[in-house]
Amino acid sequence: MSYFLQQVVNGLSLGSVYALMSVGYSLVYSIMNFSNFAHGGVIMIGAYVGYFCLTLLNVPFFIAFILSAIGSGLLAVSIEKVVYRPLRKRNAPFLYFIISAMGASIFLENIVIASPIGPTFRSYPAVFSTEPIMLGSVALGRIDVLMLLIAGLSLVGLMYIIEKTKIGLSIRATSYSIRGSTLMGVNVDKVIFIIFMLGGLLAGLAGMLFGMKYVVYPQIGNITTKSFIAAVFGGLGSLPGAIIGSVLLGIIEAMTSGYLSSQYRDLIAFVLLIGVLIFKPTGLMGKVTEDKA
Amino acid sequence: MKKRFSIIISILLVLTMIITACGNGGGGPAEDTIKIGWIGSLTGDQAVWGTCESNTIKMLIEEVNANGGILGKKVEGIYYDTKGDAAEAVNATKRLASQDKVVAIIGPNASGQAIAISSVLEEYKVPDIATVATNPKVTVGDDGKVKEFNFRVCFIDPYQGAVAAGYAYDRLGLRKAAILYDVASDYSQGFTEFFEKTFTEKGGTIVAKEAFKEGDVEFKPQLSRIKDANPDLILMPYYYKEVALSANQARELGIDAVLMGGDGWPSEQLMTMAADAIEGSYIVNHLDFNDPEVKPLRDRYSAKYNLPMELNGYMAHDAFLLLKAAIEDAGAADPVKIAESLTKVSVEGVTGTIKLSPEDHNPIGKQAAIVKIENADYVFQEKYGVE
Repeated sequence: MSYFLQQVVNGLSLGSVYALMSVGYSLVYSIMNFSNFAHGGVIMIGAYVGYFCLTLLNVPFFIAFILSAIGSGLLAVSIEKVVYRPLRKRNAPFLYFIISAMGASIFLENIVIASPIGPTFRSYPAVFSTEPIMLGSVALGRIDVLMLLIAGLSLVGLMYIIEKTKIGLSIRATSYSIRGSTLMGVNVDKVIFIIFMLGGLLAGLAGMLFGMKYVVYPQIGNITTKSFIAAVFGGLGSLPGAIIGSVLLGIIEAMTSGYLSSQYRDLIAFVLLIGVLIFKPTGLMGKVTEDKA
Repeated sequence: MKKRFSIIISILLVLTMIITACGNGGGGPAEDTIKIGWIGSLTGDQAVWGTCESNTIKMLIEEVNANGGILGKKVEGIYYDTKGDAAEAVNATKRLASQDKVVAIIGPNASGQAIAISSVLEEYKVPDIATVATNPKVTVGDDGKVKEFNFRVCFIDPYQGAVAAGYAYDRLGLRKAAILYDVASDYSQGFTEFFEKTFTEKGGTIVAKEAFKEGDVEFKPQLSRIKDANPDLILMPYYYKEVALSANQARELGIDAVLMGGDGWPSEQLMTMAADAIEGSYIVNHLDFNDPEVKPLRDRYSAKYNLPMELNGYMAHDAFLLLKAAIEDAGAADPVKIAESLTKVSVEGVTGTIKLSPEDHNPIGKQAAIVKIENADYVFQEKYGVE
């Protein structure tokens, strides 16, 4: 039993990383109906901002978190301005958005490799000891607890903004119909700005947490593919869906590695994903729409 | 939808072609220089090592040229990045052999890439000296016959695996071993296979054997399984990034078994990432970092590049030394003659005396250094070899 619980904890800790990343995909998708693959790059930059805040500026952790969130938020907003806005103004087909997003992501990865930062991975200074917190025979990593806390708090904050505030109302309205909400006086540019800002802030947090837990390297984007899958699994465009999908994916991966073999991990996770999409094409909690990818 | 997808793919393919085509164009013919190629990772996970290797070769070539070159000719180094990828390594080797017309190639450090380039070396008849490629199949084919143009200056995985198993069983008195290994890596698999063989032959048991795939960052599910099997020692036969992550995660799960690894471990990065977690671990290595014989090279390197010296630099140094001796022995900058001379000459390298066996192109009688990590430092234990 304790072995099972340990694997649940392992899965939750992995799932919380996916969750912070996948909400960014879902937020953008809910309004703009395309998969913002540049999000992986934004996360990666957030991880580097946090790293340099800690190693070069020697700021306290709390401040580094805020700075990396702001850094990623600004980056996400500028990507929107430079890359997507011109396409939006021309009503370009969604395929152009996806290709531009891929381009932006490749650009970000390579600008880091080409810069003095370089291609080698970097590790955050050790903050927490590796001494676990023991709950009975289940070991909780200190960083994992922090991750769950930060991920939980910021996701609750995000849900609050979306569900309870006026700006959240305009975001939800825009996600139903851009044209309709424009007619009702919603400033769509502003909504999109805020969407990217929110996604970027969370990406910064996710990047920094990821860096603290693992390491920082220009190809972090590879793991964000998993969080994108989690977002699809839960239903692209739905925030609770992204969170539930992420946590489920984390737990499924942990259980597969724990009870079968880690070699089957991706295989089983993706077969389940395909299964869900066959029987419920919009994902677990997705809204029903047509022609999206 | 299908059409859209294929448009994306074709655009990406075209981009890839443009990017690869923009690489170095071959230089013009220059008969008065001896061209030596180097391949290895300058980007990616293993960039630290590749950078160190290429820097070392650059430094050595400068020194040799300052002293009149080899056979009275200047030496020119050509360096290509393999990005840690076997396909890139094959491309780089082709370019070196066919366009740049090098007389020999040094590198790569990884077995997967060194194995992949064999057929190209055969085709163009250019010898290659791998630095830290420890898989047996680097120099010996599947049919058991030695590959004519593949050489190396390091010992092989079976040997590392056997040394680790022998040392753990005989000297440390450990009986229950768990293994976490990288399924996607030839290096890790070879190491694991021979550790298992020697350890069980001696009477020990393998209580758990778990796998992961290169690029993974989360090892807790596998480690939880290992924890359940309660081993005395965990073998971690892979590279330092994964070592650091998995060692930290093992300690976070409350596992206190002794950790053991091979030459994939030593790196300045490992200490900054996981000094606490790997305290008390043992490493089977090619040389001892505190050996007075390796110090002059390390000092020269640090003075020039202001970077810490890695194991790969020492191996690249010995490979270069061996190659220089072979070129001088052959008396001509002819790749085939150099390949013949490589097994004839013997040099005193910083990692020991290097004499390659004509049967398998591996160095003969190299002992391994057992190093223990104490107070975040590599502490030499003893030279240890097994039959």
